[in-house]
Amino acid sequence: MSVDPAQARLAGLLARSALGDRGAFAELYRAAGAKLFAVSLRIVRERPLAEEALQDGFVNIWNHASDYAQAKSAPMTWMTAIVRNRSLDIIRRTREEPDIDEELTANLADEAASPAREAQDRAEAHSLQRCLGELDAEQRQTIALAFFHGLSHSELAEHLRRPLGTVKTHVRRGLLKLKDCLMRAGVAASEGR
Amino acid sequence: MRRLTPDTAHALAAEYVLGTLRGRARNRFEALAREDRDLAGVVRRWEAGLTPLAGRIAPVDPPARVWRAIESRLAPRSSRAASDSWWRGLALISGGLASVLIAAFLWLAAGPPDDALFVAVLTGPDAAPRMVVSMHEPDLMRVRMVKPWSGTQGKSLELWVLPASGVPRSLGLVPNARGDTLIRVATTDARVQGINALAISLEPAGGSPSGLPTGPVLCSGVVAPVKKA
Repeated sequence: MSVDPAQARLAGLLARSALGDRGAFAELYRAAGAKLFAVSLRIVRERPLAEEALQDGFVNIWNHASDYAQAKSAPMTWMTAIVRNRSLDIIRRTREEPDIDEELTANLADEAASPAREAQDRAEAHSLQRCLGELDAEQRQTIALAFFHGLSHSELAEHLRRPLGTVKTHVRRGLLKLKDCLMRAGVAASEGR
Repeated sequence: MRRLTPDTAHALAAEYVLGTLRGRARNRFEALAREDRDLAGVVRRWEAGLTPLAGRIAPVDPPARVWRAIESRLAPRSSRAASDSWWRGLALISGGLASVLIAAFLWLAAGPPDDALFVAVLTGPDAAPRMVVSMHEPDLMRVRMVKPWSGTQGKSLELWVLPASGVPRSLGLVPNARGDTLIRVATTDARVQGINALAISLEPAGGSPSGLPTGPVLCSGVVAPVKKA
């Protein structure tokens, strides 16, 4: 893991939160809350639901802060996973019509192989961008839709007007290619078991 | 339970993290990953692989009520208005002045307050005093166990300095037995600079493997300066 000072700061705040330091936890929320709210908002779409996901997510983060040290992930990765999981739980009970951010998804397709932007200056993000660039356009679009908007296979099929089986294959093959590429790039994401 | 092949484990973990694994399959997979450390490791690697994507999403400020709701769920025990400062909150919970007085009393009972530079009463979640930690001399910290814990076999107690800012710093392990432990540490030692509070966490035998607290906090307390008599 790189020694990104921002991540190191978040790791320190998590460690203090694990010891019951509410001030540190409040600071953690101020540092990461808006980012995680945005992540959730794209998945659950409605602000009240995103507020619920963020609230539950942060209560989870507080309750499990002492597990973080064993997670060996970057703090933002660990927290994002918690909030995304909560958001996915929430849409399972509420989802009707997904509303897609075409621009974000299209951007991902267009810029997959472009040089880093400020938010992606970490090695992992570089590798991921490059590896996404190795996917064919449809695989990439399918994966992006699922990641950003929490679409299920059938929602993806509906949105992309493709048969369910085709969509499932795109996801599966896309992820497999991604894994191989990330492994070559040496990203921890895809070491063998 | 049947173990998944590595390929299946990766495929399921990837779709779990991506979010396309749904319904009962998702629940089943989650349960499997809770039981199986290797599988949990694969999930974490996929999280590390895919979450940088979220870096391109522009932040959106959540309304202030979200934090208020979070805060209220962190402190169901305390009916007091939430305090900005945890240290102040902790002092209130542990009885504030009262615990300093208890500490002073214990201190006096043990001998004159020579060069005691600070004293802290570490209390558990039930506010019962567990330990009294004091700087005995400029280069010696005394940890007095008032009430040991039961059921901690195979684990170690680790003492942490919580500085005013920055990460907790370990002062080493403390035996889980009634009596005093003396720790050689100077007031000029980097580990005690900016000391604000002390805490004991329960760690694997031999102490935290990561250098930061990993286990539950058993007791904690703010540091009160003690003037030379």
